[in-house]
Amino acid sequence: MDWSPPSLNSPRRREQNFALIGAVLSGAVIAFGLLLLLVARVNPEAGSRIREAALDAVAPIWSVVRAPFDGGAALSNDAGDYLGAVAKLRAVTAERDAGRRAVERARALAAENRQLKALMRVVEPRVRLVATARIAGASSGGTIRSAIISAGRAQGVRPGQPVRVAAGLVGRTLDAGDGATRVLLLTDAASRVPVIVERTGQPALAVGNGGPLLEIRDRVGAEVPLRPGDRLVTSGDGGVYGPGIPVATIVRAAEPPQARPAASPQGLGYVSVETPYLPIPAAPPAAAPATAAAPPK
Amino acid sequence: MSTDYRLRSAADRFSWVTSAWRWLVPGTTVLLLVVLTTAPIILPWPVLPALGFVAVFVWTTFQPGLMPPWLAFVLGLAADALTGAPFGVSATLYALTALFVRLFERRFGHHRFGFDWVVLGLLSLAYALVGQQLLVLAGVEAPLTPLLVQAAATALSYPFVVLICGRVQRRLLR
Repeated sequence: MDWSPPSLNSPRRREQNFALIGAVLSGAVIAFGLLLLLVARVNPEAGSRIREAALDAVAPIWSVVRAPFDGGAALSNDAGDYLGAVAKLRAVTAERDAGRRAVERARALAAENRQLKALMRVVEPRVRLVATARIAGASSGGTIRSAIISAGRAQGVRPGQPVRVAAGLVGRTLDAGDGATRVLLLTDAASRVPVIVERTGQPALAVGNGGPLLEIRDRVGAEVPLRPGDRLVTSGDGGVYGPGIPVATIVRAAEPPQARPAASPQGLGYVSVETPYLPIPAAPPAAAPATAAAPPK
Repeated sequence: MSTDYRLRSAADRFSWVTSAWRWLVPGTTVLLLVVLTTAPIILPWPVLPALGFVAVFVWTTFQPGLMPPWLAFVLGLAADALTGAPFGVSATLYALTALFVRLFERRFGHHRFGFDWVVLGLLSLAYALVGQQLLVLAGVEAPLTPLLVQAAATALSYPFVVLICGRVQRRLLR
């Protein structure tokens, strides 16, 4: 008999076995990946510990790498300041005079506001500065628009705190590692900021879409048209962002209106993290009366 | 493996064990490229390419044995942790990429640079479309425009990644 049945250990058989095992393993990992996505759908917090650890690993690298660039930028800024000192002084003087007049008006308004609030016994939540930190990373991918800042739980930063610069709102904290935190930028598709239009007082939502502009949705009184240049500030609804922080300026009034963020995320250096305006209580009060308003979300 | 191992001399065994670090080379390259995309550069459009995906593609064409789909999956999990995406998005996409390239090359053979670039361009388009579906599955709102912008950037980054992976292969894997 010149034909023999293939042995179990023949190289060809072995190769086939390996190919089979490989195919099964590939199918298994892809199925596992889809399972992980379902887990993320049910519980978005899943795996946040691992993400936070990854932040702590990556942020120091970029803090070191960007140091020489920061030094160079500071040097060129200094040189520019020196050269443009006279023009800048004139501009600043004019700005100061205009500012003084605005401050006088604002003082009168603030005094009036104080009196009215005292009359109405308004209780004002206090917003406290948690930390000021430098941008130490970002993910500018198509899936998520976020920045990494170099302050974390050690500095008191927790998930769900507002992040801002002087010019306006930047976003809110997402995952807080020990020494680094991921900040969800306003332009991320998952970001929703309750705003009011300063000119008309209409409440609305500023929603990111992954591009450079924000979309304005769910505006109350949509029949009143917006104008390019209208300023949007936070309304304080929802309890994360305190009222009155500049968010964006309308650039296109046609429906859906689009707005440019007040704090351009491109040139961010240092940002400050604040406590939430009305923090969500850790546990709902036990003996809450049934008629109480729904807890802030 | 065990027979091979028993037949070796002590010195051979030692060099066999220490040469295992070669297995880590492609994975480490992918990881470093993913870390590179977390640079503190915030741009108005997401024009930072998905370098990890391109690197998985390139390593699967260069060294299919060193970039099996399960390794691509593990690297994708790390990429998800680093970019803050829901766990499983990059993992599934990387594993699908490695699997696709394997099957494609088994069926149609190995190709030149230009052809592979075209294949990668089409794949990065598919990466955006499938990625959007996976994000929707994970319960994340995902507009398509930024993903397509990133796909274009990803397709353009191919020569850069080939340059890096080629250099690493010449230095470390030969």
